[in-house]
Amino acid sequence: MAKSGIQYSKIAEIKGPLVVVDDVDNAAFDELVEIQTTYGEKRLGKVLEVGNGKAVVQVFEGTTGLSISQTNAKFVGKVMEMPVSEQVLGRIFDGLGRPKDGLPDPIAEKFLDINGSPMNPEQREYPRDFIQTGVSVIDGMLTLVRGQKLPIFSGSGMSHNVLAAQIARQASVVGTNDEFAVVFAAIGVQYSESEYFRRSLEESGALKRSVLFLNLADDPAIERIITPRVALTVAEYLAYDVGMHVLVILTDMTNYAEALREISAAREEVPGRKGYPGYLYTDLSTIYERAGRLGGKNGSVTQMPILSMPSDDITHPIPDLTGYITEGQIVLGRDLFRQGVYPPVNILMSLSRIMKDGIGEGRTRADHQEISNQNYDAYSRAQEVRALVGIVGKAGLTDIDLKYLDFGDAFEKEFLTQAVDENRSIDETLLLQWKSASLLPKNELTKVKDKFISMYYKSTK
Amino acid sequence: MVAKGRIIWVSGPAVKADGMLDAKMYETVSVGESKLIGEVIRLTGDVAFIQVYESTSGLKPGESVVGTGNPLSVFLGPGIIGQIYDGIQRPLKELSKKSGSFIGRGIVTSPVDMSKKYTFVPKINVGDEVSPGSILGTVRETELIEHGIMLAPDHSGGKITNIVKEGKYDIETEIASVDKNGQSDNIKMYHKWPVRQPRPYQKRYDPTVPLLTGQRVIDTFFPLAKGGTGSIPGAFGTGKTVTLHQIAKWADSQVVVYIGCGERGNEMTEVLVEFPELKDPRSGKPLMDRTVLVANTSNMPVAAREASIYTGVTIAEYYRDMGNDVVLVADSTSRWAEALREMSGRLEEMPAEEGYPSYLASRLAEFYERAGRVKANGSPDRDGSVSLVGAVSPSGGDFTEPVTTHTMRFIKTFWALDAKLAYSRHYPSINWMSSYSGYLNDIAKWWSKNVNHDWFKIRGEIYGILQREDTLKEIVRLLGPEALPEEEKLILEVARMIKIGILQQNSFDDVDTYCSPTKQFKLLELLTIFYHSGINAIKDGASINDIRSMPIIGTLLKARMEVTDDQIDKLEQLNTEINEQFKNIKSVNQ
Amino acid sequence: MELNKLENLLDTIITQSESELTSDLKYTLNESKKVLLKSYDSLENEYDKIINDGKKESDKITKQILGSAELESRNKQLAMLEEYIEKVFSKVISKLENMTRTNAYSKFLSSLIEESIKILGTSDIEVSITNKDEKIIESALNKFTTVKLSSERITCLGGIKVRSKNGTMMLDNTIDARLANMKPLIRKEIATKFGVNN
Repeated sequence: MAKSGIQYSKIAEIKGPLVVVDDVDNAAFDELVEIQTTYGEKRLGKVLEVGNGKAVVQVFEGTTGLSISQTNAKFVGKVMEMPVSEQVLGRIFDGLGRPKDGLPDPIAEKFLDINGSPMNPEQREYPRDFIQTGVSVIDGMLTLVRGQKLPIFSGSGMSHNVLAAQIARQASVVGTNDEFAVVFAAIGVQYSESEYFRRSLEESGALKRSVLFLNLADDPAIERIITPRVALTVAEYLAYDVGMHVLVILTDMTNYAEALREISAAREEVPGRKGYPGYLYTDLSTIYERAGRLGGKNGSVTQMPILSMPSDDITHPIPDLTGYITEGQIVLGRDLFRQGVYPPVNILMSLSRIMKDGIGEGRTRADHQEISNQNYDAYSRAQEVRALVGIVGKAGLTDIDLKYLDFGDAFEKEFLTQAVDENRSIDETLLLQWKSASLLPKNELTKVKDKFISMYYKSTK
Repeated sequence: MVAKGRIIWVSGPAVKADGMLDAKMYETVSVGESKLIGEVIRLTGDVAFIQVYESTSGLKPGESVVGTGNPLSVFLGPGIIGQIYDGIQRPLKELSKKSGSFIGRGIVTSPVDMSKKYTFVPKINVGDEVSPGSILGTVRETELIEHGIMLAPDHSGGKITNIVKEGKYDIETEIASVDKNGQSDNIKMYHKWPVRQPRPYQKRYDPTVPLLTGQRVIDTFFPLAKGGTGSIPGAFGTGKTVTLHQIAKWADSQVVVYIGCGERGNEMTEVLVEFPELKDPRSGKPLMDRTVLVANTSNMPVAAREASIYTGVTIAEYYRDMGNDVVLVADSTSRWAEALREMSGRLEEMPAEEGYPSYLASRLAEFYERAGRVKANGSPDRDGSVSLVGAVSPSGGDFTEPVTTHTMRFIKTFWALDAKLAYSRHYPSINWMSSYSGYLNDIAKWWSKNVNHDWFKIRGEIYGILQREDTLKEIVRLLGPEALPEEEKLILEVARMIKIGILQQNSFDDVDTYCSPTKQFKLLELLTIFYHSGINAIKDGASINDIRSMPIIGTLLKARMEVTDDQIDKLEQLNTEINEQFKNIKSVNQ
Repeated sequence: MELNKLENLLDTIITQSESELTSDLKYTLNESKKVLLKSYDSLENEYDKIINDGKKESDKITKQILGSAELESRNKQLAMLEEYIEKVFSKVISKLENMTRTNAYSKFLSSLIEESIKILGTSDIEVSITNKDEKIIESALNKFTTVKLSSERITCLGGIKVRSKNGTMMLDNTIDARLANMKPLIRKEIATKFGVNN
């Protein structure tokens, strides 16, 4: 982008988060803009559309209080950049990447375009390193792998933050000393939630290898478009320049999508489903696809976005499009949550797509995939039987059906349930999986090879 | 005259330029100082509307736009197989050499290695008359592909005045000269073809040969024919990609074109890592030796996503014209449709349903029409096919949305993925009640001739059991399973066995991942034998619990994993074992 | 290029300030290390107290105290470094304030005008300056016939503010603005010179 810095003072229109500037003949698409008022206030924005003497500028901090006559727009001559260096570790920033902890701007090693660039698929390294989270249901059945993007689909009020914080505290790669750096981006969440997370990192001593970006519920909504991008820019720097393994937690992506909808509405675009813009999928992918590993580089970016499903509806465009991009999803269930189960993971709706490549012989254990398949199958059958009990009562059940009921109860109570500070090893997790499965007769274990049954099946009788 | 204009407006991938009177529709243009690649998609007066295949960040009004005079075309010649391209046929490996791990902009590369030498074997002689599409000679492209060097379909043909001797040449070498009415033309090993124009052929055949994929639910229940069209819609998490990968891995075609259109980056990496290591079950050679990848992942520029489908299908047609069976897998046509929608929105066209442009249906039709089994142009005579398999990603898993409903009009095999099945880990989660195949009757002859003459009957019987189970399920839901008579309980039990032992297939199990036609048939036959023995046993007074406790059930259900394709005799033995164990029940009951 | 002179000037000032300040900085860095060591002591005391509360709990607290101490010490260093950067900057600014308006400065002003014309794409402009430059601007303006001098005066270290005559475009080409743009790079340079960054 050519050197610029011109201030234009002819504002044609202000609508929603947009400012339309007139008589502009030197501005570039995507360029960073400083909106200045005559009384000295500065806000940041970027060019969404330019041409025919007009530039449409999206103002991150909102347009409240701006006037046509007392506003001008300075086109900075570059895209928005984030200063990065190792010094960002242990720091807290606002939603646009400016210090929020009273300390000075980080001294930049580099200035990076916050939009990043698409990774060349040919240069990606396929994720294969098993991350032990110490949470049985994840390690056993929804295994997380370095460089994966695995979201938590939750609903309002459920324990997603507790779970994410537990994962951030406990996550480690077995057999290495590598520690995760945590990049946490709060997107329109309440202070108490982000504070819970910060305290959890502090108590585990992880704050010094964490970076926090906070856009809280009362911060400007449009800023939320930027928050995940600055966070990921820092994560990429730490991963590919410094060589760290970075776990990025983005919460709550629903607020992000709503900010995007607000801009789309202001631009009077033809909406897709539920008023969200037609490009929501593409836009989300420019965030989620920034997870991964690169050939020849040490570090990795693992993403755990959290989103609350409006009315717990998984077909809502936000979880729906997210699920099409991410490599699986951890779905929290309202019923389990009501019963006080923690973590309340609805395993049947959950999935980890690249689990198969991170587990098995030499990584976890040879029987891992099969016993996990078996437990999925059995739990699904248990759910069917539970539904049947509601209609015909236990008397209408076969003996086998009753065994599946026992399995379902044991699975939820012993395997699924665990304490917030309980860090289980993968061996403990596999043991518990076999313990539940051993409540069923051997003949029912159709997904496990006979040799594994003879090795691990333990009849309780 | 090439067009030379000036940018007047930029918004995302859409750019308007004036001074473009000389530009042609669908001409490729170079946009701005960074020479981004774009394509003209509308002309109004001297204003051209351009979709840009690269990120337009930093582009300014006033920068120049220069036409190339050519429509968007692909390069067709040896060296394509084994490559991974972006949506406009730039090899990603070469891009990474120029811009590192992340994709840069304005990079021009050659689609294949122009300096590589191939052993050219001439197939014609000086003095021969050649028509367009004729094979002049062949080169060995990979261990699996013998590449026919063809006269371009838009060449006028003529008399061969010169042809090189067998030997090693790079693809820029002029290997032949063709003379027509005194005008001589030198031919190289490659030509170019515009992606939006289907390649011509002599005639089309009816599809009668199944495309075997080694996937039981596909081959046995909802088959695709060579040259046919299939669609695989499913909500996220239903295993679309895994099923598509399975088809790409095991389909009995000579060439596979896999288009990752607006999907995950890691999925393309997975193919790149896995395919070179996997062996083609028929030839024993690495699968990558027959595969071409076109990858325009979701975070790559949206306009190139639109082009990727055409790039892929043109490459597929090219290999078809050499006489190959080609399978093209497009994951996902919904993302392609979304790219259309986005450009249409920027063009401010009047939207139809859900904001999609009104020409969505006709574009889909045009795409699927490029499938077919054909007799190629030119000599010698050769038949080839392009089979098209398109994934659809319906929003919210709703099959009534526009892309799914329009696609259903143009395809003949429909594999409906079912979230409920996926949730209970029934994979592939192809729903056997809502899926269909329009090729079933056409390809039945092939099965009875090549596998077993009872195939059609036995398949029908097994499918009948599944249909009966579907109605019985309603009763069970209301009254519980104990309310049914023993015969019907047997139906439920056998249906369960069909689901676990046949319909389910574990892609990640070394044995189960591919199932030969013979093994498919044998497994089917064993279950019908079991069912008939069960009916007889019940008539003789056995209870369903007696039958359920037979150890043979576990064996039958695991046979798909435990018995390899070359151990079919083991399955024959199970036949006897079924009889033995049913005899035991009888003797206990008497 | 005349513009390089500003950067050269800054460079010399920075080097001068450096020797004056490094010794100070070394002292404070040592102080911050002492803080860190002290926290190890307090950690030991704390550790003895809680050793009976179970390993898990003690591990947690170890990590927490150690982590926060390291962080606290690092943050102190950051704050101190920033203090010195600011000192360098104020020195730079005071030197610039007292800069004598030489012939070279006049050339610098006309190069600024030239650059502004190029960026705005019009030579129909009005230039505002600070009081101090009233005399020297005449010579700088000589070769620009269409450029008008505004009667309005601005407060700045030097340089110009430019406005298109129709009033829609403005360009801040003061030394202050240029300094602000360069600040992140200058900060990095100062930090490297003190041997602190990373």
